[in-house]
Amino acid sequence: MTWTMHLPVLIIVVLLCSAFISPLLFRWCRKASAPALLAALLGALAAAVALLVRLYRSGSFSYYLGGWAPPFGIELRADFLRVYMLLVLLGTGLWIFLFALRNLKYELKKEVLGWYYALYALLMASMAGMALTGDLFNLFVFMEICAIASCALISIKETRDCLEASFKYLILSAMGTGCYLLAVALIYMVTGHLNFAMVQQALPEAVALYPNNVLVAMALMVVAFGTKAALFPLHVWLPDAHASAPSPSSAILSGLVIKIYAFAMLLLFYTVIPASLLESIPVTEIVLWLATVGIILASIFAMVQEDVKKMLAYSSIAQIGYIFLGIGLSNRTALVGALYHLLNHSIMKAMLFMAAGVIIHAAGVRSLKKFHGLGRHLPLTLIAFTVGGASMIGLPGTGGLIGKWLLALGALETGRPFFVLVILASSLLNAFYYLPISVNAFVHPLQDGQQAFKPVPRLMLFSLAVGIAAVIFFGIASRPVVEFLEQAVQFLGP
Amino acid sequence: MQQSMYMAVPVFAFLFPLLMTPVVLFAGRRSGLLRNALALATASATFLAVVTLYPRIMAGEIIQFTLFEILPQLQISFRVDFLSFSLAALSAFVWLLCTIYSIDYMAREHAGSRYYPVLIFTLGSCQGIFMAGDFFTLFIFFELMSLIAYILVIHEETSQALKAGYKYLIMTIIGGLALFFGIIITFELAGTVSLNGGPLITETSTLAFIAFISYLIGFGMKAGIFPLHVWLPDAHPVAPSPASALLSGIMLKTGAYGLLRVIFHVFSPAVIQSGGWDKIMGVLAVITILLGSAVALTQDDIKRRLAYSSIGQMGYILLGMSILTEKALIGDIFHIFSHAFMKSALFLAAGAIIWKTGKRLVSEMAGIGREMPFTLGCFSIAALAMIGIPPLNGFLSKWTLGLGALEAGMPLYVLVLLVSSLLNALYYLPIIVPAFFGGIENEHQHGFNIQEATPRMVGPIAILAVATLLFGLLPTNIPFELSRLTAVFLMRGGPF
Repeated sequence: MTWTMHLPVLIIVVLLCSAFISPLLFRWCRKASAPALLAALLGALAAAVALLVRLYRSGSFSYYLGGWAPPFGIELRADFLRVYMLLVLLGTGLWIFLFALRNLKYELKKEVLGWYYALYALLMASMAGMALTGDLFNLFVFMEICAIASCALISIKETRDCLEASFKYLILSAMGTGCYLLAVALIYMVTGHLNFAMVQQALPEAVALYPNNVLVAMALMVVAFGTKAALFPLHVWLPDAHASAPSPSSAILSGLVIKIYAFAMLLLFYTVIPASLLESIPVTEIVLWLATVGIILASIFAMVQEDVKKMLAYSSIAQIGYIFLGIGLSNRTALVGALYHLLNHSIMKAMLFMAAGVIIHAAGVRSLKKFHGLGRHLPLTLIAFTVGGASMIGLPGTGGLIGKWLLALGALETGRPFFVLVILASSLLNAFYYLPISVNAFVHPLQDGQQAFKPVPRLMLFSLAVGIAAVIFFGIASRPVVEFLEQAVQFLGP
Repeated sequence: MQQSMYMAVPVFAFLFPLLMTPVVLFAGRRSGLLRNALALATASATFLAVVTLYPRIMAGEIIQFTLFEILPQLQISFRVDFLSFSLAALSAFVWLLCTIYSIDYMAREHAGSRYYPVLIFTLGSCQGIFMAGDFFTLFIFFELMSLIAYILVIHEETSQALKAGYKYLIMTIIGGLALFFGIIITFELAGTVSLNGGPLITETSTLAFIAFISYLIGFGMKAGIFPLHVWLPDAHPVAPSPASALLSGIMLKTGAYGLLRVIFHVFSPAVIQSGGWDKIMGVLAVITILLGSAVALTQDDIKRRLAYSSIGQMGYILLGMSILTEKALIGDIFHIFSHAFMKSALFLAAGAIIWKTGKRLVSEMAGIGREMPFTLGCFSIAALAMIGIPPLNGFLSKWTLGLGALEAGMPLYVLVLLVSSLLNALYYLPIIVPAFFGGIENEHQHGFNIQEATPRMVGPIAILAVATLLFGLLPTNIPFELSRLTAVFLMRGGPF
């Protein structure tokens, strides 16, 4: 079983290679390009599962790139937490790609499909890298790849809106990575290390000598990851970017990309920065309050949106707030809740964007006011939309309830019932903007002037059905996942 | 083997209707007849399944088991004791009657293929509420029932119905969230939310009080307790009549059931009294009773009048809970039975009138008793029971409640009961009396001109009216016996 120790790097390499091959295949052997990427994604997912099996057999391990041990080489870590993130990434990524296969034909020009596949693979590779890496600078590299790939996935549509949104995103995202790079530099200055574990060891001493350096580094990190993950008030780029992108891009950007930054922040906070330091600087407290304000305000913004994708984008800002809430509460149950919500939200938000994509394609409407009567013509799509909305509200039988339960329980355990109220208030606000859509779509008759419905390819409907099943599955069979997560956050102590 | 078969009954009772929902839905696309037959078969099977539990329950057994764990320490579990059985049997019975009634009533309405699956689904989730073995399971079924019942409320799709439905939906969500808050605090304080562990919270604290208030909001919303009743008078009347009967007759009771469970399983009467929380319930109950009855007086739409009357009657049930003596509790639980029979009979009868004549306003109903003597006869029996005329069951429950109040040294509550009875008389009698004796303009109108609704509609009404009469008349009857056993069981914390 020695070959399985190469799996972490294999996943990244396979995805990176397929990113280079995709455009070539698209030029020379067009039919093979999509199946090739599909195979690569499937292979990566299989490798992640194999990695999980290995973890169960022989525990977590480190992989040194090229055999160079730190401090000289780059370390990839494989433990329960990272493999969980990897599974979420690759599973959701594969599923969204299935949808994209058909949907992209309606949204993009044919010539750019090859580039799209390449960017998709690049994005997946960089996110997998961020999930696995154990090196501060390597994290920076993957963040840059991720940012560029995401921007390109938005601007590939070449409409005015997309270009504007992706430019905005590019600037803010560059600012975010810049902040992160500064933070890394400051930490490297005082500790002399870039490896996670070594930095963690060296930091307590460094704090005593250079407290300001570390303080500034932490502030920069919050800004960096806050910008990337759309933590309020650094979210301004998100609504435009996620709303104007092609639907599969929106799905992956809202479903996965903002999550991976939140996850990276979680890793830094809990595996790089020593607990004593976190206690002495109120950085988790700041994150907590920003998340709270974000949850409430973004939900209110979402209520007044007319464009369905804009509404979903604002809803993402609110939902990412939940994950930051879990990080900020620094309590095991809350963290498990945040991670569980990460999984749930990636599924439900991707599904909602897919459903929006189907509606835009089939009915040609984007405005929520024109959703009347769509439920009778696109039943599965609108059921998917309803199930996604129900999960956002946290209705029983959906994964959303479990995530909220764990987060709320975590808040109570730390003795702060106020944050339970925040979660409840936001659920109510979610109800205000998700429920009327479903009601209008199913109850009211079609509006005048509605054009004829275009047929919806089976594969798109199949992806939606998978999403519905997944939301309900994780709402009922939550126990194994949660027990796995409890194991994964062992590092936080009891 | 025997054991496991009985274990399976609660699962059957809630799962069978839920599983039949898609079957009924798809059958509805093929043939209306098949759909109706399937819906009826499902309701009957559920009722029979619940009834088979009777000997075991009367032997003092508590059936309980865990289906699976949804989170560590958080199960989906089931439990049937006296209280669960009483309400499950009651609801299955009324549901069966309403399903029979629906066949003819809904034949004229649109979208029957949507109505029946929803009817069956709510039946299943209602059974799930009553048979839930812990608060999390209860919460799940409670939300399912409430949300799906939305489709019943808006069935007619008029703008009025949609408006009422939206109000209902939002209030339901608020109630659900409050419930979530209460349950999660309980879980945090006690480490479990199971109904088996006796009182979960044994001392008062700020957090416990917040939990209590959350439960009161969550369940009180459903039960239509002042000031959370605002959705009820809009939502109940706009639904099709059999659905109104179920909404008012049974689904309101899920709120009362939840509160009973909260009082006796999350807290204990001692904790409630030591915190003075029974006073809160008492005050709310008095306001609810008087307000519901007083506003009912001013309503001309018969179904709205009935809906307001429901609010008043739920106030009685809350009053019984706030008194917290054994006697009051007997009256309380018996009133759950009584009100279910009375109010369902009234709504079904009102539905028959609307169905036959199209008249909804009380002021138009003069003389209608000579056209539909049988329906109006049943309506009168149920209405008299509401007022509390002996020997009807409404009298028995009020009597027992009153005795309980006196026992606890609260004669004021008896006065409230009397005033409310008077108000009830003031708004029910003006329906009944003109219906039989009014509307005569010339000689030949004196005779009967019988135009009854179909037997499938009158039958259920008659059964409910007879139940109203019998369960007041017979010295020992099953509902009263069950109420007594349940009250003793709850107050003393054990069977008998």
